[in-house]
Amino acid sequence: MSTLAGIRVVEFAEGVAGPLAALRLADLGASVTKVEPACGDWLRGAAPALPGSEMSAAFFELNRGKRSVALGADPPAARLLMRALVANADVFITDRGDGELGSLGLDEIGTEPFALNPRLVIASVSPWGARGPLADCKGSELTAQAMAGYTRYLGSHGEPARRLGADVASAGTATFAVQAVLAALLWRNRSGRGQRITLSLLNSLLAMKSIHLAAQSDPDVYAGPRVGGASNPPERGWRTRDEPIFFSFGGSVGAQGRPGWVQFVEEAGLSRLLDDPRFDKTGRNSTGHGIDVHELRAEYEREFARHPADELVAIIRKHGGNAATYQRADHALAHAQTRALNIVGEVLSAAGSAVKVRAYPARFSRLRPALDGVAPRLGEHTAAVAAESGIRGSVLAQMLAEGGLATDAEAQCAPSAQPRPAGSSITSRNR
Amino acid sequence: MTDATTGPLAGTRVMDVSIMAAGPWTGALLGMLGAEVIKVEPPAGDGTRWVMPTQRGMGTNFISMNVNKKDIILDFKTAQGREAALKLAATCDVFVQNFRVGVIERLGLDYESLRKVNPRLVYCAISGFGETGPLAKAGCADPIMQAFSGFARANGAPGDALEAFRFTGFIDLTTASVATEAVLAALLEREVSGEGQKVEVSMLEAALEIQATRIAELLGAGLIPHPLGSESPGLAPDRAFQALDHEIFVTVHNEGEWGGFCEAIEHPELAQDTRFATSRLRVTHRAELNAAIEPVIRAKPAIWWLRVFQRKGVPSGLAHHFETFRHHQQVVANEMIARVTTRDWGVVSVGGVPWHFSNTPCEVRAPARPGEHTAEVLAGLGMEQREAVPAGEKA
Repeated sequence: MSTLAGIRVVEFAEGVAGPLAALRLADLGASVTKVEPACGDWLRGAAPALPGSEMSAAFFELNRGKRSVALGADPPAARLLMRALVANADVFITDRGDGELGSLGLDEIGTEPFALNPRLVIASVSPWGARGPLADCKGSELTAQAMAGYTRYLGSHGEPARRLGADVASAGTATFAVQAVLAALLWRNRSGRGQRITLSLLNSLLAMKSIHLAAQSDPDVYAGPRVGGASNPPERGWRTRDEPIFFSFGGSVGAQGRPGWVQFVEEAGLSRLLDDPRFDKTGRNSTGHGIDVHELRAEYEREFARHPADELVAIIRKHGGNAATYQRADHALAHAQTRALNIVGEVLSAAGSAVKVRAYPARFSRLRPALDGVAPRLGEHTAAVAAESGIRGSVLAQMLAEGGLATDAEAQCAPSAQPRPAGSSITSRNR
Repeated sequence: MTDATTGPLAGTRVMDVSIMAAGPWTGALLGMLGAEVIKVEPPAGDGTRWVMPTQRGMGTNFISMNVNKKDIILDFKTAQGREAALKLAATCDVFVQNFRVGVIERLGLDYESLRKVNPRLVYCAISGFGETGPLAKAGCADPIMQAFSGFARANGAPGDALEAFRFTGFIDLTTASVATEAVLAALLEREVSGEGQKVEVSMLEAALEIQATRIAELLGAGLIPHPLGSESPGLAPDRAFQALDHEIFVTVHNEGEWGGFCEAIEHPELAQDTRFATSRLRVTHRAELNAAIEPVIRAKPAIWWLRVFQRKGVPSGLAHHFETFRHHQQVVANEMIARVTTRDWGVVSVGGVPWHFSNTPCEVRAPARPGEHTAEVLAGLGMEQREAVPAGEKA
């Protein structure tokens, strides 16, 4: 039996954080109903699209297995359905503010207990946090990275800013939201009560910056250089005859570290480093994030220029060090190690073609997270969900007529017959 | 540190024998959620104690990764140390370890051994590359996984091959976060089945989870992640623009925000331009789009743009650093940074809790001294400290 079998999740959130959180709950057995604005979750229209489809690849992966209810042009006319959905749910994940939720009939959302459904677990995700002067301001993955200081750890001062290519604020918040929901469900089992949890992209990034916050905490009393500092040059590893590598020696236990570096430098033709006083004899100061790496990197690179990366990685690993080449993501997925973990699976799209998707990111000795389902069309399940929620046909018809809901929203919101320009295949931008 | 906590996991007990970051922050998150977490260090000590910088003699890595824990020292290589470990595991709900694959069996603390003394135990094993496959026994660390997983190949200026994140431990903390999620799932499953289970989390799978959107674009549409400066593959505009003084970061998610953006920059004709009608079209015509916007933004200061974008409902922000965000009212009001008062190492800023529960509030507590609770915890097991730790090997 799945962990979350029988758990009903209502997701009223767009983009990445809320939808990814709900996806993971679905993998664990919950049923997810996604409520979307009239023109759909913005991620539907992001680039790139699945081949032969208007749906973005990211939307497909993050929303597989969910049902979609589409609001119409006048969402408050759907109050009755929203209240019914939330009244019958176990979990409500939303990125909407209390004002908007109030207009949809969820006026008591900020009260404790939540009178409409005191057992409900509510996870509210925002860019900047539930309180404070920016509480109602819009935000994004990029702006959260910038405000949390993440862009300082890429590039160089004076150069145009760079972001992390991964959507770390959004995906990180998704994981925290799943934690919050699961912990709140555990507590509900004991107390019988739900509760509301607020999370934000900025908060998540600062939580995940704990090592750096501590290091910067009090410059007047800290000793030693701060590794991985914002003012360091761009980090691109060690050049070799072909691809750059990253490597480290010294281990992680005790003050002295583990052996292996001496044997490595001997085999790699770097024996001269044994007599060089700038190198400690564990590799700790001159490899990895060692404090003298920037000064000493070139000493390794002179010899590494004679060896291919794969050979150096093998020698380093043989002597107990850590090493890897900088792989592209497609090569990472194709690597024998990744394949051994069965990380990539396939689901059949609505059109019947196979789409590759990624499995739940952990494995269990008994639990078997699901890897199935396709992403819904916008409003595909509006009528079915309304019927299931006890909304009579005549009431549904009225909601549709008043613009509270839409059953075929995609047609209404299709970009005004914009043909995709010839030759604009998204994948042609690959490097 | 008092024992009473109010988090949702109050009453849950965790044994954390991990070191460095990916394992320890798992214990820290469970501790912040209210569990009683007992960190078990080897006599040689968790290596993060010596990672620079140190504050009053203690590695700030150690301080930040071991909040909300008790700390005991056991030598698993002695019979007494192993006995204490098994006795302690029998009292716990969760066990966390991140030894290299194969080592834990030699220590006799593998899942099968612990399941015999505690079938309800949720056993969390954190590895670099997973427990099967050709690299199962290879060592790993944050920058290694940034390299292996493709994470670094998505960063840099356009045209660059790669750039690693100069931010030690980000993938470690990602791994810890995924591990915490999985442990909670197993705890919830235990409520139904009455049994614990083994949970395996690898830095590799976590590094792909944090790249969820980029990997989805690769798997679904064949788009290989590559450096785009401050831009993203999915949306446009979604980047930093150079204003008169410094950069303004701005994102347009949908057509409504695009309309607001065009109003904000006082170029309503762009909103009518069919080349820019949808996110996907704006991505396709990114170069023309940027050419139209860049000179406009450059003419006024970043603060001016920040305010006008806020008024028009367009996501925007400025780049901050520690000294500007630590006192920012938004960060303070939401307690995103916690200040913990340690007994020996002074006051330290660490990450605040990422979740704010209305009924079961969580808090960040200062880490313990290494070995501070050895006697207390062993006494609770009916053992004396000298049985488990040879004299002179205490921290």
